[in-house]
Amino acid sequence: MKYVMSKFVRMTRPRVMTRVTLCMLLITSVCRAESDDDFFEARVRPLLVKHCLECHGEKKQEGGLRLDSRDAWMRGGDRGETIIAGEPDKSLLIQAVRHDDPDLQMPPDNKKLTAAEIADLEAWIQRGAADPRRESAAAISERMSLEQSRAFWSFQPLETVVPPQDAADHWSRNAIDAFVLAELKKHALSPVADADRRTLIRRATFDLTGLPPTPDEIDAFLRDESTDAFDAVVNRLLKSPAYGERWGRHWLDIARYADTAGDGADYPVREAGKYRNWVIEAFNRDQPFNEFVRDQIAGDILALEGPAEEYADRVTATGFLAIGKRYGYKASPDYQYLDFGDAIDSVGRSLLGLSLGCARCHDHKYDPVSAADYYALYGIMESTQWAFPGGEEQKRPAHFPPLVPPDEVARREKAKAEELACLDNEIAALKRKRSELDPDSQTGGVDLGFEAQQSGKPPDKPWFSAGSIEVTAAAQSPFDHIHPQGKLGVRLGSAQPNDGLRYVFENGLRAAPDKQMHFTIDFRAVDANEKGAFRLYVGRGVVESLAVECSVTATEFVIRNGSNWEVIRQLTPGTWYTLQLTIDPAAKTYSGIIGTQDDLTVFQDKQTGPNWDGVIDCFICDGIGHIAGAACARDLDNLGLRETAFGAPDSGPVAPRTMEPDAQQRMVAFDVEIKTLAERRQAVSTELSYPVAYGVAEGSPTNSRLQLRGEPHRLSDEVLRRNLEVLGGEVVPAGSGSGRLELANWITRPTNPLTARVFVNRVWQWHFGEGLVTTPSDFGSRGERPTHPELLDWLAGEFIASGWSVKSLHRLIMNSRTYQLASIDDEGNLAADPGNRWHWRYSRRSLDAESIRDAMLAVSGRLDRNVPESHPFPAVETWAFTIHSPFHAVYDSNHRSVYLMVQRNRRHPYLALFDAADPNQSIAMRQPTTTPTQALFLMNSPFVHEASDGFARRVVSVSGDDHAKMRWAFETVHGQVPEDAVLRDAIAFVSAYREKLAGNEAIGEKDIAAWSALARVLLTSNAFLYVD
Amino acid sequence: MNQSQTRRGFLTRASGGFGAVALAGLCSELQAAADNPLAPRSGHHLAKADRVIFLYSTGGTSHIDTFNHRPQLIADHGKSITASRWLNKSGEFNRFLIKPRYAFKQYGQSGTWVSDLFPHVGSVIDDVCVLNAMHCESDGHDKATLAAHTGSAQFARPSAGSWVSYGLGTVNQNLPSFVVLAPAAPYAGAQTWSSDFLPACHQGTHVMPGTEPLPNIRPRNANTELQQMELALQRRLNQSHLAQRAADQLLDARIRSFETAFGMQRESPEAFDLSQETDDTLRLYGMERGATSGFGWQCLVARRLAERGVRFQELIDVGSSGNWDSHGNMSDHERLAKAIDKPIAGLLTDLKQRGMLDRTLVVWTTEFGRTPFHQQADHAGREHHNLCFSSWMAGGGVKGGIVHGQSDEYGILTSEDAVHTHDLHATMLHLLGIDHERLTFRHAGRDFRLTDVHGRVVREIIS
Repeated sequence: MKYVMSKFVRMTRPRVMTRVTLCMLLITSVCRAESDDDFFEARVRPLLVKHCLECHGEKKQEGGLRLDSRDAWMRGGDRGETIIAGEPDKSLLIQAVRHDDPDLQMPPDNKKLTAAEIADLEAWIQRGAADPRRESAAAISERMSLEQSRAFWSFQPLETVVPPQDAADHWSRNAIDAFVLAELKKHALSPVADADRRTLIRRATFDLTGLPPTPDEIDAFLRDESTDAFDAVVNRLLKSPAYGERWGRHWLDIARYADTAGDGADYPVREAGKYRNWVIEAFNRDQPFNEFVRDQIAGDILALEGPAEEYADRVTATGFLAIGKRYGYKASPDYQYLDFGDAIDSVGRSLLGLSLGCARCHDHKYDPVSAADYYALYGIMESTQWAFPGGEEQKRPAHFPPLVPPDEVARREKAKAEELACLDNEIAALKRKRSELDPDSQTGGVDLGFEAQQSGKPPDKPWFSAGSIEVTAAAQSPFDHIHPQGKLGVRLGSAQPNDGLRYVFENGLRAAPDKQMHFTIDFRAVDANEKGAFRLYVGRGVVESLAVECSVTATEFVIRNGSNWEVIRQLTPGTWYTLQLTIDPAAKTYSGIIGTQDDLTVFQDKQTGPNWDGVIDCFICDGIGHIAGAACARDLDNLGLRETAFGAPDSGPVAPRTMEPDAQQRMVAFDVEIKTLAERRQAVSTELSYPVAYGVAEGSPTNSRLQLRGEPHRLSDEVLRRNLEVLGGEVVPAGSGSGRLELANWITRPTNPLTARVFVNRVWQWHFGEGLVTTPSDFGSRGERPTHPELLDWLAGEFIASGWSVKSLHRLIMNSRTYQLASIDDEGNLAADPGNRWHWRYSRRSLDAESIRDAMLAVSGRLDRNVPESHPFPAVETWAFTIHSPFHAVYDSNHRSVYLMVQRNRRHPYLALFDAADPNQSIAMRQPTTTPTQALFLMNSPFVHEASDGFARRVVSVSGDDHAKMRWAFETVHGQVPEDAVLRDAIAFVSAYREKLAGNEAIGEKDIAAWSALARVLLTSNAFLYVD
Repeated sequence: MNQSQTRRGFLTRASGGFGAVALAGLCSELQAAADNPLAPRSGHHLAKADRVIFLYSTGGTSHIDTFNHRPQLIADHGKSITASRWLNKSGEFNRFLIKPRYAFKQYGQSGTWVSDLFPHVGSVIDDVCVLNAMHCESDGHDKATLAAHTGSAQFARPSAGSWVSYGLGTVNQNLPSFVVLAPAAPYAGAQTWSSDFLPACHQGTHVMPGTEPLPNIRPRNANTELQQMELALQRRLNQSHLAQRAADQLLDARIRSFETAFGMQRESPEAFDLSQETDDTLRLYGMERGATSGFGWQCLVARRLAERGVRFQELIDVGSSGNWDSHGNMSDHERLAKAIDKPIAGLLTDLKQRGMLDRTLVVWTTEFGRTPFHQQADHAGREHHNLCFSSWMAGGGVKGGIVHGQSDEYGILTSEDAVHTHDLHATMLHLLGIDHERLTFRHAGRDFRLTDVHGRVVREIIS
């Protein structure tokens, strides 16, 4: 946004214009002799090179504009045509260099061209803008055209692939191996030996569950001599709930899962965990992957098709869209373009392997994705109703989709409305009964509670005041014919017209046949310093429907009769007056008396406000009267509104009210009951009558307009909601909703070449550490090509043929010999393929953050395998987070790490330290690091020490001697039993440690301490932290 | 293998190809360097500075009350102008000019104007290059804070310190390469020092002033002999594990990380221990003996860490609340300036005395300035103003005693030598020997830079 002081603009614009015009005349007359091309070469080309091409040339195309060839400027930029030959005044280029438009000043930042330079450009355009520069082939965008994309590997349809047939192949166990072996041979590599069984079960167990195998599980596998022993292990692991916790976590990396919104205030999202649990469950029940994707994009729409018991799950699945980083402060489209950007980019990268986000500001630089494609999807997002998590400006969640079908929502809403109505009736009935004990209380009682207010302060609720107002003894009225003499009134200082005092009667009066309304008030002007009038208003609402209005100065009392002001009498400053009004709603007239006991003025048959609707529930005294200017300071007291007449001013003092002996007590009892019901009502009205999810629902279908440079306020043409052109470009049919259902179908139809390829590649990567395509979220032209393209396509084909079964894919991969290779070194292979791109061995992998923590908890015996309740977030009623004081929490637990509260803006310290996924974006591959700060955690953190202590307590309870204990300890943590020398070394360490322990602790405690030290050694050594 | 991916962007340029390095047993030194993403490396050209101390005042420090002396603003106090933006909205707003609350004086040989808020910084102003035409895109705290740190106001991106660590590594493996000394997080939280898509070892290590500045730095058992026994056994197990897996550098890196951690455990408490500092030094920083917090503590620790080779330090002055965001009353600036003025001057003086200022780039900045005008002529506060604000740089190859950049007569818009946040970043990298256009990292299909597609090295201020 350009920020210009208009003062400067006004001053400079005319001056520049004059100078320019003068120079132009001068130069055009001088230069006519030059040829157009010479003129360009001599005057324009150098000028463009010097001032323009840095930002509008080959390197940069600010504003989508290039000025380095005629072809380029003919195409124009984001703002349209730049140069109109022969028409300098209409050419945007000239407007820009003249700095006429504060939003378009080129060159920017006070680097304005000289008047002579501007004149040259004008003359050039005037003469027809001759430009010999033609676009070179290289200057044309490197972007892949749709035509070219048909030849690009990832956009080609999936073909049926036949695995290599090699009669000499005695190595392969399944088709995967045949593909791998063929490439190994081609690269003159040979596979290493198979992994031993201990290595294999540890690899498979961490791979599928993120936990270590127990000694019993290892033992069972070692003893199982059947040919399908490993199958049995894989099947057992796939059935474990831990499988979904491990593989669901992989998907949550892709889905950029977090438990907080990610805007500046980072609001907690209580329902995020439902999506996380749904993902874990979906993996555990092997939901077909195409359905898994469809539910995440359009589950709310699919849910309507039934069955009913899947409704909640499918709506929950749309959390995939909602769960991204939020940028906004409130639920408003103004803030949503970045949220939509995140959703579009995440869909692209996670499901299609396309960086769609790159097309937000301009056509994708390399891939066949246009800005129009982006805004076609944008329309789909904009036609969707998004759950709003809460934010700085709107601190409460909104639009969370219900987990019950619409008719059930309607039923529960109705039931809730009925319950509320019922409560309202009960409360009204109680209030009625109470008011029977104290008739005046019906309308607040005469004096409207002044006596109960605190002196020296503005009157408290239900009064509302603005300006200098206080309850004070000095404002006590001397009249006592209606209300017994009290001690307090209210004083309003002189102030702005809108300052004043308001009282809203809880039960106002409504016009009823044969009923009148009576209003009374005592007042006086405190001084005569100010000449303006103050107003006494009675009517409905804050001057919504005016019944009677009186205007008062220090010396004059005026009423409104119909639409005219009418002077009723003169007043003396400082004197108290009492006013009574009797209003006849049927006739829309009123009468009254005003004065002191011995000086009363009567007025009759005045017209109420012409549009009065017959309700009085509000009294106002402000500074808006019949005479403008600051109103005088005034005192008010003894207000009353009721249906029965008030006593006359000369009727003598009233005695303090006497009530029936138990009335007070009964009123208190009613008050208690009313309060309870009111609280209940509050609870019922704020509580949702159905469970909700952090997801999306259908909004109003709308096409979006393309945003130039990705700026939401620079709108170009409308783009129809449709599929990406490269995937077919079908348009969302009219009348079919947002288009998410269509999008879900386009993404998951078997003819889409990307979805299956991208996902099987991810599964491969999660099994082997690296994908066949090493840029798993980029299958575009800047991504890497697959190492084994046929294998990738064969796997994708098998995957689709299996009904998109992820568990079948695991079995297929894990049963391959490729998966079961040892991870040992081999000099020849290492020299030729150090990165193991051709799978001559299984690549050793480091345990990820979750596996380290979960395995430590598991071996210590402290891992809680239950699915935890939701996080202990603060109660929603208390949410007041801002960017100044954002939400932040770290919740401890002994549950599996997938259930830790993932905070977006301030990451969980442990998860961040060990390179867990950054939830700010879709993470295709974690980047493991090895840092000393991790080592410090392993050496000194309370967590590792507590886990070691737990483990030590398990070790000492193992039966047998130190040797047996030591074997068990190694096997539990490393999955291996080392050779005897190592065992003896470790036993010697435990003894020596025990010896060294100073102090006189019990032998048992020293034992625990020593084994605990051994546990720390085992849990921080490489045999634990890496998986062969 | 992922490791090679992550470092590809820079290493292929810096060390002539990583593929060669990965070959086992070729050149152990190079291997160690390639294996350790934090090993020190040289940049693209000869560096003028070896390290950066980045001072950040959270909330938006008023430029016209600190370093941008605008006499006309004082003369025209109370006059009305028409502003075309106000509180992030466009339109025509009648606003009143408000003069600075604090008087200005000229300091040093250079005669640079500094307000009474920063008399101590004034006393060392001949070493400082004031930038009076800074500007950025956002006038929201979150976005502008992220822009000042990562170059991007909208998306999660690596912090400048992470880029520097990624580009140059660090000389002292016993201390982190990128340290953030902050009592509280600024706006946008830890994202301001996040490594984002860069390897996590380049992430800022958050040091909270206090008795345990680095988490887990203290052994849990006072008897270090016992811990040494543990580490010795662990090493023996790791060595025999490694014997069969000799080619795996990651295993070796892990073994070494424990050695480094043990070194840090030994060395860093000493780095944070100020007990050996003299009374004169403490006085220089305006510190009480024994204090473990306050900006003086942060500055003095920064000098000690700089001496020990930490590559990039960020010192955050106050967090996201109670900061320089003086909407209500500009007199808040007095308290805030008082807390940092002497410590900053002390840091510059101390670095200079020790001959370190030449090679240490000290930068002071904030997310934006504050409006020279307001809705009411007598309003005591100022609003956010991103179109013109002030920062400064000192040492590390920057000319001292100069003012670069001019604003209009009221400090509303930049008028000469404007410096964008991207330019500030480009200049910082340049002084460290890095070409900001060549320090890239491939992520999500494209090469990312700290300066995105912008940034100009402000050569005019380089000595």
